[in-house]
Amino acid sequence: MDVVNQLQRQFIDYSASLHREGFLDDQFTQLQKLQDDNSPDFVVEVASLFFEDCEKLINNMARALEQQQGVDFKQVDASVHQLKGSSSSIGAMRVKDVCIAFRSFCEAQNREGCLRCLQQVTHEYSLLKNKLQTLFRLQQQILAAGGSIPVVE
Amino acid sequence: MAPTLPSGDQASDQDNWDNGRLARKRQLLTEIVLRNRLTALVVDGDTTCRVLEQLLLRSYGVQTHGVDNGRDAVALIASGVKFNLIIIDMILPVLNGLEKATRQIRDMGVHCKMLGVTACSGESERQAFLAAGVDVFIEKPLDPEHLVPILRELDGQ
Repeated sequence: MDVVNQLQRQFIDYSASLHREGFLDDQFTQLQKLQDDNSPDFVVEVASLFFEDCEKLINNMARALEQQQGVDFKQVDASVHQLKGSSSSIGAMRVKDVCIAFRSFCEAQNREGCLRCLQQVTHEYSLLKNKLQTLFRLQQQILAAGGSIPVVE
Repeated sequence: MAPTLPSGDQASDQDNWDNGRLARKRQLLTEIVLRNRLTALVVDGDTTCRVLEQLLLRSYGVQTHGVDNGRDAVALIASGVKFNLIIIDMILPVLNGLEKATRQIRDMGVHCKMLGVTACSGESERQAFLAAGVDVFIEKPLDPEHLVPILRELDGQ
């Protein structure tokens, strides 16, 4: 019982810090509420879908920005737009915020600005991926110890 | 690839999210659950968004179907399948969500509620999407606050 309580407290604290630091917003909490006994791995699986999409989109952006003959900013913008949509749907607030700035640079056809944003978005995506993996690991440990995942408002 | 036991190491966590389970999960997520009369079509080229929107609708008991491009959406409706609600993104692969897919669906005489759910946030984009035929413009993410009143309205009809 003590082990479970300790793990649950760790989970709550870690969740709260992710929200406080802006990695996750309320949308992520909504997703956690959708998880139930019929779909216990739902959040983990949606997160991995998101990271798959992220990697694809970031690669598209990088390739488009590398073009020496002239960057197709519309193409870059299309990928950023898609990333903005999926990051907002999963509650990845910091990734979404970089996308908003990124789109302004695409509109202004500013290659330097775009490259900076690409770096930022890659960084934020890596950070988030690590943090969520830690969160999911904590979840696994709680379940393995026979406890239930607390709902963090 | 054989699944490995979880450890503190990042690589094994990746193995845990193996493709087989994910594919089956996707299948389960698109399973139709009949709990009430409402049916919805979700049209979004982005997998994450489409899966999440379908799941949100399902959690409210709506029978949902998802397609990832405009052409399939138009073809499905042209084949005679009826929906109470269509959720459509502005930018779609194959057939553009705005000009082509939305307009074509309306031109076919489909009068059901259409929600334009998109990452676009500009006023001109909002006007354009409404002009193309959506009833409501919602900036992503689609959340219960926007969805529930619409479902209640549809349920009451």
